[in-house]
Amino acid sequence: MSKRAPNPALPPEIDAAPEFPKGHVDTPPSDEAMFLSRRGLLGAMAATFAVVGAEGCRRPLEKVVPYTRMPEEVIPGVPSHYATVIQRRGDALGLVVESHEGRPTKIEGNEAHSSSYGSADLIAQASILELYDPERSTSPRKAGAPASWEDFEKELGAKLATYDKDQGAKLRLLMPPTVSPTVIRMRAALAQRFPKARVHTWSAVADSNARVGAKAAFGEVLNTLYAFDKAKVIVSLDSDFLQTESGNVRANKLFAAGRRLRSSRDPMSRLYVVEPARTTTGNVADHRLRLPASEIAGYAFALAGELAKAGVQLHDIQDAAAKAATGVKVPPKWLSVLAKELVQNRQRGVIVVGSRQPPEVHALVHSIHVALGAVPGVVSYTAVADPDELDVATDMKALTDAITAGKVEALLILGGNPAYDAPADLAFPALLAKVPFSAHASLFVDETSQLCTWHVPRAHEYESWGDAQALDGAVGVQQPLIAPLYSGRSDIELLAWMAGSKETSAHESVRATVRGELFASKNLTDCVPFDQRGDAECRDTAGNVAHAHEFELDREWSRTLAMGVIRRPTVFKAPSLTLGGVSSAITGRKTVVRGPGTFEATFAPCAKMVDGRYANNTWLQELPDGVTKLVWDNAAILSPASAKELGVENRDFVKIAAGERSVTAAVWIVPGQADHTVSLTLGWGRKGAGRIGNGKGFDAYPLRTTDTLGFAAGVTVTKTGDEPYFFAQTQENNSTEGRPIAHEATLTEYKAKPDFAELETPPPRALPLWSQADYSKGHQWGMTIDLNACTGCNACVIACMSENNVPVVGKREVWRGREMHWIRIDRYYVERAEIGATAEEPAVIFEPLMCVHCEEAPCENVCPVNATTHGPEGLNEMAYNRCIGTRYCGNNCPYKVRKFNYLNWHNDAVWKETGGLPETLAMQQNPNVTVRFRGVMEKCTYCIQRIQSAKIKAKRESRDLKDGEIRTACQQTCPADAIVFGDLNDEKNPTAVMRWTKTDRRFGLLAEVGTRPRTMYLGKVRNPNPEMA
Amino acid sequence: MQIFSRSLNKLPQVVGAAATLGLIGVTFLIWYYFSPWFTQVGYAPSQPVPYSHRLHAGQLGLDCRYCHVNVERAPLAMVPPTETCMNCHQLVKTESAMLQPIRDSWASGTPVEWVRIHKLADYVYFDHSVHVTAGVGCVECHGRVDQMDQVRMEKPLSMGWCLDCHRDVKAKQVSLDAKDAPKGVAYEGSDSEHIRPVAQMTNMEWKHEARVDTPRRLDPPENCWGCHR
Repeated sequence: MSKRAPNPALPPEIDAAPEFPKGHVDTPPSDEAMFLSRRGLLGAMAATFAVVGAEGCRRPLEKVVPYTRMPEEVIPGVPSHYATVIQRRGDALGLVVESHEGRPTKIEGNEAHSSSYGSADLIAQASILELYDPERSTSPRKAGAPASWEDFEKELGAKLATYDKDQGAKLRLLMPPTVSPTVIRMRAALAQRFPKARVHTWSAVADSNARVGAKAAFGEVLNTLYAFDKAKVIVSLDSDFLQTESGNVRANKLFAAGRRLRSSRDPMSRLYVVEPARTTTGNVADHRLRLPASEIAGYAFALAGELAKAGVQLHDIQDAAAKAATGVKVPPKWLSVLAKELVQNRQRGVIVVGSRQPPEVHALVHSIHVALGAVPGVVSYTAVADPDELDVATDMKALTDAITAGKVEALLILGGNPAYDAPADLAFPALLAKVPFSAHASLFVDETSQLCTWHVPRAHEYESWGDAQALDGAVGVQQPLIAPLYSGRSDIELLAWMAGSKETSAHESVRATVRGELFASKNLTDCVPFDQRGDAECRDTAGNVAHAHEFELDREWSRTLAMGVIRRPTVFKAPSLTLGGVSSAITGRKTVVRGPGTFEATFAPCAKMVDGRYANNTWLQELPDGVTKLVWDNAAILSPASAKELGVENRDFVKIAAGERSVTAAVWIVPGQADHTVSLTLGWGRKGAGRIGNGKGFDAYPLRTTDTLGFAAGVTVTKTGDEPYFFAQTQENNSTEGRPIAHEATLTEYKAKPDFAELETPPPRALPLWSQADYSKGHQWGMTIDLNACTGCNACVIACMSENNVPVVGKREVWRGREMHWIRIDRYYVERAEIGATAEEPAVIFEPLMCVHCEEAPCENVCPVNATTHGPEGLNEMAYNRCIGTRYCGNNCPYKVRKFNYLNWHNDAVWKETGGLPETLAMQQNPNVTVRFRGVMEKCTYCIQRIQSAKIKAKRESRDLKDGEIRTACQQTCPADAIVFGDLNDEKNPTAVMRWTKTDRRFGLLAEVGTRPRTMYLGKVRNPNPEMA
Repeated sequence: MQIFSRSLNKLPQVVGAAATLGLIGVTFLIWYYFSPWFTQVGYAPSQPVPYSHRLHAGQLGLDCRYCHVNVERAPLAMVPPTETCMNCHQLVKTESAMLQPIRDSWASGTPVEWVRIHKLADYVYFDHSVHVTAGVGCVECHGRVDQMDQVRMEKPLSMGWCLDCHRDVKAKQVSLDAKDAPKGVAYEGSDSEHIRPVAQMTNMEWKHEARVDTPRRLDPPENCWGCHR
């Protein structure tokens, strides 16, 4: 036998070694269960049989425990759905939560909410697991020892009472930025009691640059809304607006709408992306320029100059920009062609600036939008929830300065984790220890809690009342789905208590806020209650007395709760541009110069961990990164050229140093990374996250200072020579190897040859083994996946895990290829001259893949026990209790979508040390889906539980199913609407999926094998500008 | 030299004995797993309160749905909350010693723990509502509960038993198109003895005699995912 070819995806010593890798293996061990001796195994088997035999003789006594008093609206076995909202950075995401007898299990987007439009992203999907995290803090702690809320209230209460004299001059609060009107109102109430106390704002991931930029341009802080659906040209300057920036779900929805192709006659927007590291947005770009983050500002100034040359009136800004752009080196076409296209599409052009870019770039782009006439069409402005929030780094520095000066006696930290993520130069952890009285309210006893004198548990967003204002100003109400699991309290409750507010519950506070908003939406002001019923006397806009009736407000409140958001039209702002502000921002900017031979380190929020807050979430840990497909880790991302220059390969360790500060991380090479940059995502390498999150990945924060929050130019990168790190990846091959798997064309090619995808797919070569079943009657389920819409954002993967009780297996088991995700998103690099994609800068195509429900399913032919069979509605069905685990089906599946339970993953994988799945995590599981045991095969079911419950409902009501009544979990959450599911056999009312399967871009994946898949794909279309070639 | 050791002389006897024992074992297993012993027909555990269905449903004539309220709209018919008992027993038999656990539960809020009788495996997703609204009466699966003082499991509730009914109903469904049906309306009916008019759902005495109108075309699933997910 010839020696097998080395696997480039594996480090040599792992690839060559016959057994398991040495060195960095830090996943929870899960091998013991499999490493019994033969004798031990036989013994265990004998004992098991004896016990099972004895058990089987008697029927176990099972109890039925009904309610004593039946709660209203609860029907056991039928889930209820509640609208709520969660805070996002500068935005709010409206959600609908599914609840089984008071137990929230699944998150969906809220169709009535303008930041969600019915979709949710991966973070929102995974947030349900955070609620049930078994390592959440369960009680207040004083100096690490459990204490009670009464102790805390007594101690802090006494302290606050003494502060009444000096108006709280020595009291400081530290909170993450908020979009909650009630929190802001409570903060004001606190300021009333303690006028000299100060509230500081800090979050490692914030929109400070955008805020400062907007203030420079307009004199006030504003939210920018982009109508990506109406835009013809979209330019992203280092903005990952589809994934990690604020408003991502909305952006994804609108962006997909602007590129949806029902036929080859449809128009499509064009996306240019300039960025240092691959992001979700960069991956779907029609043209992508890799540029270090520090050079993107220069590029923006040069583009402004080019636009000015093309006749865009930028007044004195253009001189400032021209001066700032001197010496910028970018491909000339990226200036001339872009400027030309933006001028051609004056009112349909959008430039999005990333939050990492300095304020002057934001200010400049505001003025470009105004000059192009994009405002108020494709770009519009709304008021921000909290106008006081400006630059969080400055605010944080003010706090540390005050602590250093000894001006802080009591520091209360509500949420956040500043001891982990504060800028390294502020040395916050050391200063925090110096504060005489410090308290941290948080979900976990984390790095900050451990340094504070007090820790108190904070209520989760699904446990408490609250509210949140979305980017467009829509205020949504956050309803609790469950009583606090661990005596946690919300920020609103804590602030109200400290402020000595008369409002005794968060419910009351939120209702009061919403009441105020309702008054305001009726143009009523100065409302004072005047009678027992709660009716109020107000003034209308003309100053006349008007009455607001309690019953009307009550009705509005109920409607708001049911909808999740206050119904009122969006109020747009029409700000006027201050030219001087923009040009002085540009002239007064800090220039960043990267010295020769040095690197630039860029920091970006992780799509999974954000700033580290989700580090203890197993779903997110095991979710493959969109580009690298790494799980349970981040990595120092280098371009192939830079790696070659440094002499490093995948898995080698490098030391990234900026002066005294340094970080050591393992390398992963990604083509498309800008040369001489090294990218690290934030939120990894935690020490106080919990058993799941501790020590996973590499912490980038030690490099990040107040001046280099986004990127640090001039760092040195050196190979350490340590033994290579152990990474686990879910996809080890980057190319389709020229096989017809993921079809794509340019818009021009598509127009010339609309059925390119099907033409490229070879005809079936294999004849069916059996006579064909009759699929002409009844429901015939099918699905289409639009590769043109898919951005590889991973929301569907988490939605599927959440809906279908998909287990997590741990890093080492993923390395063995045993991950259980029912959906995988294959990422292929594409080299094509037509779109300017080369080996160094390949384009990317994503192909989500789950069971395609073949009509001629190869898996069914090889199952010896008929555990997988075909249903009359065309579904490839899997009966778990019949499966004996031969794995023949998995081997015979050409799509490799069947997953085998090598162990009882729920108990024996990551939670093994706790003796099995913690009870709280079991609470998350969907009661309508079997929890699979060791030794059975499983795969995508097209969410059969949803199909069945919708069918039963329709039968009960003696009616036909409506199109769209059944939505699979992946389809429902997809922010790009790439997935459509439905009946392929509805003659009366053609369904959406029938229309899509008839469009010209369709193709059956691996149709040449003769499997007749029920899932059809729609080929990807790119829209490159011919002038860029 | 002897090829086989002396001890092998016993081999035929050992094999014979093992085969006999094995045969007996297999016979026992088949007999056991096909008998009502295994399906536990006749299981009638005693309950914390000796509630008599014969008295309530039979003699007093309470409709099944007075207590099992969700049977038409949910997968679970639901064992009633203490509240339902107390609706009457606040006024009736207020001193009865047998009802003490009910009164205790009502006062303390602690539920009464009834013993489950009709139990399906965890991987079976049975839905009461879809059966009941199709015209499958309570008595079909639960037997003459109105004649039981202590409820006992009457039917095997095994997969074969489920499928017998599903197949029978499917085979005996009568669908007439509008042109063939009386009065020109599409007609759906069933000749299966398991199907009754929906209005007769809780009637324990009802007997199938002639074709029954059904509210919809009855197409009970026979595929795995009809019941297992």
